[in-house]
Amino acid sequence: MILKSASASEGMMDGEDEQVVVDVQQLAKRYSGWSLFGKKPIDALRGVNLTASGGEVFGLLGPNGAGKTTLIKVLLGVVKPTSGQAKLFGKSVGSIDARQRVGYLPESLRIDRHHTARSALAYYGRLSRMESTVINRRTDELLELVGLKGRDRETVSRFSKGMYQRLGLAQALMHDPDLLILDEPTDGLDPVGRNEVRRVIETLRDQGKTIFLNSHILQEVEMVCTRVAILSKGKIRGAGTVRELSQRLASEVVVFELEVSKEIEVSSFVQQIASQLELDSSQLDWVEGEGNSSVLTASLPDRSQVDQMVDALRASDISIIGLEKKRPSLEELFMQLVNDSGSDQE
Amino acid sequence: MTPYFAVITDSFRAAFASRVLWMALIAIWILLAALAPVGYRQDYTTDFRSQDFYNGTRLKAMLARGTVDETVSEQPIGRLAAAMPDELSRNLRRVGNGEEVRIFLRLFADALNECLDDESWYSEDAWSETLQFRELRELNELPEPLDESLRRRRARLRIEAALPGVFENRSAQSIRLSYAGVDFPARFSTDKAQFLILVNQFVLPVIIQWLMGFVLVFLGILVTASMIPEMLQPGSLHLLLSKPVSRRLLLLSKFFGGCVFVLLCVTQLVIGLYLIVGFRLDIWNMRLLWCIPVSVFLFSVFYSVSTLAGLIWRSSILAISVTSIFGCLCLVVGVIGGLFDTFVTGPAKIRNLAVVGETIIGSTKGGGLVRWDDQQGSWSEILEGNPLGMDRIIAPVALDPNTVVTASVRGGRFNPFGSGATDLLVMTQDSDWEGEPSVRLPTSTTEVYLSGDKLLALNAGELASVSIDYVLSEVGAKRSATNDDEGDSKQEKETGIPGPSESSSGVARDNQAGSRGWLQKLSSMMGVATEGFENLLPQQVSLTPPRNLVVDPEGGFLFVVSRGRLIRFEPPQSGSGTWEISSEASLDGDVSKNVLLAISGEVLLMAREEVPIQVFDAATLQQLGQVDLPESLDPISLVGLPGNGGFLLGSSDGRLRHVKRVGSGVFELTGPVGPREVESVHVDRTQGRVYIAHHIDRLEVLAEADLQFVEQRNPIAAGWRFLEKYFIAPARFVTPQTGELGETIEAIISGESAKTILDGPEKGEVVRYELTRPILSCSIFIAIMLTTSCYYFSTRDF
Repeated sequence: MILKSASASEGMMDGEDEQVVVDVQQLAKRYSGWSLFGKKPIDALRGVNLTASGGEVFGLLGPNGAGKTTLIKVLLGVVKPTSGQAKLFGKSVGSIDARQRVGYLPESLRIDRHHTARSALAYYGRLSRMESTVINRRTDELLELVGLKGRDRETVSRFSKGMYQRLGLAQALMHDPDLLILDEPTDGLDPVGRNEVRRVIETLRDQGKTIFLNSHILQEVEMVCTRVAILSKGKIRGAGTVRELSQRLASEVVVFELEVSKEIEVSSFVQQIASQLELDSSQLDWVEGEGNSSVLTASLPDRSQVDQMVDALRASDISIIGLEKKRPSLEELFMQLVNDSGSDQE
Repeated sequence: MTPYFAVITDSFRAAFASRVLWMALIAIWILLAALAPVGYRQDYTTDFRSQDFYNGTRLKAMLARGTVDETVSEQPIGRLAAAMPDELSRNLRRVGNGEEVRIFLRLFADALNECLDDESWYSEDAWSETLQFRELRELNELPEPLDESLRRRRARLRIEAALPGVFENRSAQSIRLSYAGVDFPARFSTDKAQFLILVNQFVLPVIIQWLMGFVLVFLGILVTASMIPEMLQPGSLHLLLSKPVSRRLLLLSKFFGGCVFVLLCVTQLVIGLYLIVGFRLDIWNMRLLWCIPVSVFLFSVFYSVSTLAGLIWRSSILAISVTSIFGCLCLVVGVIGGLFDTFVTGPAKIRNLAVVGETIIGSTKGGGLVRWDDQQGSWSEILEGNPLGMDRIIAPVALDPNTVVTASVRGGRFNPFGSGATDLLVMTQDSDWEGEPSVRLPTSTTEVYLSGDKLLALNAGELASVSIDYVLSEVGAKRSATNDDEGDSKQEKETGIPGPSESSSGVARDNQAGSRGWLQKLSSMMGVATEGFENLLPQQVSLTPPRNLVVDPEGGFLFVVSRGRLIRFEPPQSGSGTWEISSEASLDGDVSKNVLLAISGEVLLMAREEVPIQVFDAATLQQLGQVDLPESLDPISLVGLPGNGGFLLGSSDGRLRHVKRVGSGVFELTGPVGPREVESVHVDRTQGRVYIAHHIDRLEVLAEADLQFVEQRNPIAAGWRFLEKYFIAPARFVTPQTGELGETIEAIISGESAKTILDGPEKGEVVRYELTRPILSCSIFIAIMLTTSCYYFSTRDF
């Protein structure tokens, strides 16, 4: 299964033959707020469109206050949208049928201190309308999966943060949900803990679970997510795979490692090449290195332009020692999209 | 329902994990351990105590007469007087010589207790003329020597027989409590059955109410107030709401789960109490276990407030504060309501009715006399009552279509014999119902009855009659004397000193005593007839409580019941002197219970608590049949309808029921008839109407023949009553009546629908337990609070 997403501007993604898990259309949420000067409503979501089909790990990215948690709360039925609609598995969010198929790990999980790992899983299992026999079987499986076997009869008050998160993950998986919503699952964890949680997510991904991952740890998202959506100021700024985003949003950058054997006037040479390739000079960045070495970074969206650049360099008797094509990182894309939204005024 | 049961069972786990719960449980166990050594043993009632004297004045007078009157020296009172200690004997002699001497009842008790050990005062011949009850007769027939306890018991009964009308009716058996095998100094002169009632009706409800109504509710709120705010913590709430559960049911499950804490504590306490009173006091009262749900119900009233406050403010502190404020509000409304009950509505209750021609006159619980004023549409006052309830008024009796008689006994509520002499007040329409003093009533008169052309006055133990002509003729003669009395009375009221008296029994203050002989004064103190009155009962008959009396309005017969004897009297053939006993019957069952008596045609009906209603032939006193009153109801009032119309029986649920003959020896109880919350009933034979006072002072009139509605009169509320009706009552209505739930607990534990509070010389005021109203009020409140909470929780974004 493949999970796909798209922003409204880009239109719906294809995949008609796949099950639609998340379907969000023109979703808006306005919180009523008050200040000394009267009402001050806050628009947490402003016309969000998001369609996701079952299968992959989907990352929801965005800076603090972007509306990520609000979007998740809407999907869980915890808050009601002001306008628009959201569906899970074709059913209205908040309906018991929809929630029956969702597992959720909240950002700051609280499990009552009187519970052990085993009793907590039994409790949340019963809340998910599971039979006792199934609860017992799933508890053993999940304790094994999250690495809490052997600690399952200890009170949770003795658990470390990492154990707590893993227990949270286990409770989210208890009723074998079709959709798993993880809100900052590695927040507050040390690298070992993050690695443990990431390992579990990867295992689940390998098992074919659909995972909706809300995180602002971009590396993590880049490592585990097959699709991402970037949310900023209540709007989806971009959605798709990281590759699709980079292709769509940024030009391919080619880095030439050169050896210049003769004296050249760098600035006039750059101007010459730019006019020859019909480029803007700002698309070219020449950096002189030690000795005869230099590095030319060129933003060349077209492959023929790369050939022309090679021909031009060689014609000028410049040796090409190395050539590397570079894609922008997710962080660069994220920053670009978020910065682009900075001028967005509502 | 699995997820919601999961929430509730999780609350059990949370409660068991709570240290506060274990601390509460340990406190309960300590309390139960402290109560466990309480035990009791039964013994015969022998020693006299001050409380055993019903009429101390009579005792003093009788012994004084025995001391100074040589003619009675060989009679029981003379022999007993001779056995008194020297100091007491000297004082009695002074009393006999006409001096005002104050003698404390405990001195009499001590002296009589000495007589229990030394029975040299007893003479079989002397006692042969006394009225001896069955127990004494049986003890007299036992072979000597008797067991010490039995011997002392017999001696006590002999003393009681020698001094009729002096002693309270006490059970033959006494209960003595012990702690860890050591006897308490106090002794309860009650038998096992009465002890059981005492424990069930007073002791256990008080323990339950205090521990559960206050301590556990407050403790429970302290512990559970945090449950809702904690559930609303983002990491907890969002996880719960992500589960396939209904928000409303989730909240309700949390609410019921919160009640678990109190349920666990209450269960421990109630079961512990149940086992302790069962094993230690032999009282296995399963009804006690009903206190568990009732107590949890009481807690849930407050917890519903805490839940809503916790939802809105998401703060435990605020939830506790708001709940505490709510508790205070309930308390304040309850206290204010109680004050209005005591000082406004209570005293206005119509206790007795009399129809004089076209005028309806009623006596109130507050000791006032009122008249229905058609023009004003309300009751107008004839005699002012006392809101503090210190006065008592004798039920008005219509002599003719223009005249009614009554009497106001000052200080009569807590001092049943009054603190001064009491004149009969005659009121006529011509004098605009102004009370004019007539004959002086015998000391400690409690009731007045009309019998043909005579007026009967019942006092502590005697029944005296006076002709109506004499009463009316004395109206003018007494006027000047009354003015003097009023001066004294006024001073007495101002100082608050009720005149010379010993203890609560009081002493009749007879200003004219100086002009009479010492014997006449002693007679007056003993309660026998004063001037114009003559004793009606034979000497060996004394009407001691529990008692009742009914005059046959058609045949002029008199029926009395006293301490288990039912007697029919006929007027003497000569027209004067004591009445003669024509029939007599002994009653089975507990004779210490209040008894009601009424006649209808040829049938006499008697109703007692916990005994089926008995029907007797009015001529022979043969029992014709019996009727069962629904369980948990007690008889409160009884009137006979003319002819063979049957009877109207008022019961502890505030309703009237019709008892009528449906066949030979077959009687049936039907109804209820008439309004609710009946206060009193009066049958007016001349108009063929039944007047029913209900809902404090409203009137409903039924046709005597078919008991169909004729008319009603609802007084217009004014002044304090207006305030009570339009402000206090609505405030009480909207405020959950948590305080009244205490009554529910009392009713449940005792298994009764009413309790009797001493409110007069012999009659207790029967207070109905409010069962439905507080439960309904609290249920509605809980429903409103939970509905609001559910709506808030299900519509709010979190």
